[in-house]
Amino acid sequence: MKKLKALSLLLALTLAAAGCGSSNQAEKDPAGSGGTKTIKFMHLWPEGTNAPQNKILNEIIADFERENPGIKIEQEILANEQYKDKIKVLSASNQLPDVGMAWPGGWLQPYVEGNKIASFDDVIDRDYRNKFVDGTIEAFEVDGKTYGLPTDLNIAIVYYNKRIFEQNGLNVPTTYDEFLHVISTLTNNGITPIALGNQERWTGSLWYMYLADRISGNETIVNAVNRKQSFEDPTLIRAAEEIQRLVDLGAFQKGYNGATSSEAESLFTSGQAAMYLTGTWVLPSFTQGENFTQEFKDSVDYFKFPTVEGGKGDINSFVGGNGGLFVSEHSTVKEEAKRFVKYFTEKFGERALGEAGIIPSYKLNADDYDLPELYLKVLKDLNDASSITLFADNIMTPGPAQVHLDMIQSLFGKEATPEEFVKAHEEALAKEAGE
Amino acid sequence: MNKVMSNIWMITLYILPALLLLLVLIYIPLGLSAYYGFLEWDGIGNMKFIGLDNFITGIQDMKFWSSVYHSFLLALFSALSLLAYLAISLILASNIKGSDILRKIYLIPMLLSSVAIAQLWIKVYNPTNGMLNSFLMAIGIDDPPAWLAEPSLVLYAIFIPILWQYAGFYILIYYAALKNIPAALVEAARMDGASPWQVAFNIKLPLIKGVFKVTIVLAIVGSLKYFDLIYVMTGGGPNGASEVMASYMYKVAFRSYDFGYGSAIGFLLLIITLMVTFIVRKLTVSDEEELQY
Amino acid sequence: MQRVGYVVLYVILIIIAIVQIFPLFWLFLFSLKDNQQIFAKSPFSLPDHPHWENYLKAWQGNIGIYFFNSVWISAVAIVLTVLFASMATFAITRMKWKLSKLVLGLFMVGLMIPLHSALIPLFKLYLSVDLIDNPISVVLSYTAFHLPVTMMILLGFYYTLPKEIEEAAIMDGCSVNLLFARIILPMTTSVLSTTVIINMIYNWNEFVFVNTFISSDQYKTLTVGIQNFIGQYQTDWGPIGATLIISIVPIIILYIFFSNKIVEGMSASAIKG
Repeated sequence: MKKLKALSLLLALTLAAAGCGSSNQAEKDPAGSGGTKTIKFMHLWPEGTNAPQNKILNEIIADFERENPGIKIEQEILANEQYKDKIKVLSASNQLPDVGMAWPGGWLQPYVEGNKIASFDDVIDRDYRNKFVDGTIEAFEVDGKTYGLPTDLNIAIVYYNKRIFEQNGLNVPTTYDEFLHVISTLTNNGITPIALGNQERWTGSLWYMYLADRISGNETIVNAVNRKQSFEDPTLIRAAEEIQRLVDLGAFQKGYNGATSSEAESLFTSGQAAMYLTGTWVLPSFTQGENFTQEFKDSVDYFKFPTVEGGKGDINSFVGGNGGLFVSEHSTVKEEAKRFVKYFTEKFGERALGEAGIIPSYKLNADDYDLPELYLKVLKDLNDASSITLFADNIMTPGPAQVHLDMIQSLFGKEATPEEFVKAHEEALAKEAGE
Repeated sequence: MNKVMSNIWMITLYILPALLLLLVLIYIPLGLSAYYGFLEWDGIGNMKFIGLDNFITGIQDMKFWSSVYHSFLLALFSALSLLAYLAISLILASNIKGSDILRKIYLIPMLLSSVAIAQLWIKVYNPTNGMLNSFLMAIGIDDPPAWLAEPSLVLYAIFIPILWQYAGFYILIYYAALKNIPAALVEAARMDGASPWQVAFNIKLPLIKGVFKVTIVLAIVGSLKYFDLIYVMTGGGPNGASEVMASYMYKVAFRSYDFGYGSAIGFLLLIITLMVTFIVRKLTVSDEEELQY
Repeated sequence: MQRVGYVVLYVILIIIAIVQIFPLFWLFLFSLKDNQQIFAKSPFSLPDHPHWENYLKAWQGNIGIYFFNSVWISAVAIVLTVLFASMATFAITRMKWKLSKLVLGLFMVGLMIPLHSALIPLFKLYLSVDLIDNPISVVLSYTAFHLPVTMMILLGFYYTLPKEIEEAAIMDGCSVNLLFARIILPMTTSVLSTTVIINMIYNWNEFVFVNTFISSDQYKTLTVGIQNFIGQYQTDWGPIGATLIISIVPIIILYIFFSNKIVEGMSASAIKG
């Protein structure tokens, strides 16, 4: 019986002891202990998905530790959703890791406004800036200060199956009318034109962002978000109408609004759908991945999103975005962490493409690499890009971004009219701006 | 007897460990979360006290009420499905051959984590080459629906995996309850010539009424705050057709970064659940009194 | 006539069993395939050539540590939960005190708290007592959050225990502690193993608490470890399936062990009865 009592008391004691026991915090605090300083680095590049990427990461960390004796990098690897959730809890408690992964624009803004992340202006110079693709560092700017340094860069492109196109006598469309012709030919021949996993909604958003870009130019949505104009613009309504026209034509596979992106991807990679719009992050697996058949790798190609007659956008404008790293404002090793991030982004930029097939935000010369043809084509197109419009959830802050994503699904499901679609955006953006 | 069983020290000793954990780890967070409900707070920057605004927004938010409606439907389905579980348990507990192995097999879905279950059912429901539609097309249904993409069907489609996942859980509880009935009681009734039906309805069911009432509450409360599978399988879509209270709360707080409003929704969820539970308990109590006549 | 009824009954029971067991079989097939086979082919199809290396991939890294953590964290939390819940249920149903109904109500409300609304406050709470990145925070959370459901299940059983037994015991001069430990607990063996199984399932598959409160690899559990396989943009589903299988096998073994305990417990109480 004594055991029972002891156990129940133990719990009470644990809690009580813990309540007055925060004095040992200093022991745990790496910065306070004088000897080694530990930088906590939270990221989402596990070995399981892209082993070379993870290898580069570990090697850069090892190099940095060797060159900077007394500094240790401690990694925590999470999956995407879990990372975003955990960052949310950590920031609410002022416990952000010293270094973490960041996304530009709308993701970044609340953290900057909440004074949670540090600016890099004191560690980067013109020399550093010149090493990166124009706009990738700027994407992390808020009010003229830089709050993140870029790592990878992705654009969305329309992948298509060459074999299916040939069998149906189709050419790569460069105009929207040609694109519509491709779709009607395919549907007439009983082939699913486009694979779309719109359960996740950002996938459908890519289609809208491109149509909006091609019809109303690359400024309109950004201006509407910045409240320089209304979202209820006729051209943005027209883009929404085109989405529903594609739906009416049967452009997307059955059940697209309930399909995950991996379902859609598998539909495309197994040759059951002719086209698939997604980011360049699939390039490593589409060209070299052991998960796909040689037949698929031989028949996959891509084209730039076609232009719309009378629209303001040009064919060399892309929808895309880049990732990056932030440093916590309240980090006890802030200076070291900033140095690490600067070091890491440069080294990663140098090595990512050649060793892991990841396109970095770093300027590089495609000729230096022995890469599959598809890569060379993407790199060339990136070089010629007239502009890159950020992904919708990078342009908008989280509140309006969620409204956008919800409305995308309703638009594709024809549960909202194009007018309702833009109206919901306008209301959310106005509310966010406090109008 | 009364003295021993009402000794204040003994009562304290027995209740305290559990109560302490409950108060510290559930009620303090609950209080804090209620407090967040009065704030305009994105979970990152400054907090601003805005009084009841979030709760008023919640009461006027159609999306919230549609999620409440969906949660209620789930709760209703779950409560009804208990009857099926009970029937299976009665059969299993009546010493039929193989009941042991069957009972063990029935629990297997509970052992899998939500990630695996969601993956499985996404594949079952795949509109073109999923198990379900392949089967329907094989028996001659030409154009079976895309279950998870159809707003009018998605909630029912989501309920099937939940029904499937929890079958073993309730069967386990009912089975244990039925097996706890003294064998002598059942034996005596049989001797008196009672049929298996009579034994089940007149002896077994009344004896496990308490357990059954508890499971009703568990099922209803569990469905009102259900989240896991729905979030992975449909993300609340399409167009909010499978949004439930907890998934809506999560989205608002963790995806739209409106932590104040999210906390307010969490609190409304709690109040709604409390009210439903109260009503259910009132109903089951009156049932019991009627039965006693 | 009765024979036909039995056959129909068995057919139904077996169909249910097949539906229930299929996922495990499916998961096993899944764990031996590559992405192409998983997504493009029928889920019933056998793997072209089994990719046993998925298991090798899955077993790399820290899975051993994760596994050990899952075991001990689950076990400690189960012991605490079942013990404390039994004690509290005993106090509420068998002892006489004024506030018992109110306290029971408090526990029932605990059942209704949505996990995600408690997450940030709970994190702050542990932070203030320096329990972040300490497995104690996970053990305590599991115990606290599963107390209500465990008590609810116990409740129905405690109400049905005949009063005469404890009256007789107290008459014989048995103390409350002895009554609880020697008489009440053994009488509830079957429901105790039920709650152990349920807690085991909950704890073993729990994810959000560990992911939020723990950051060091040395304290992470198997379920969180699985997430290390799930990447930013792509997924390597074969090894994930293998990891899932590895994580399920021990719980199945434990489950079979404990459900046999139920039967033992029952026959034991039947002898007494």
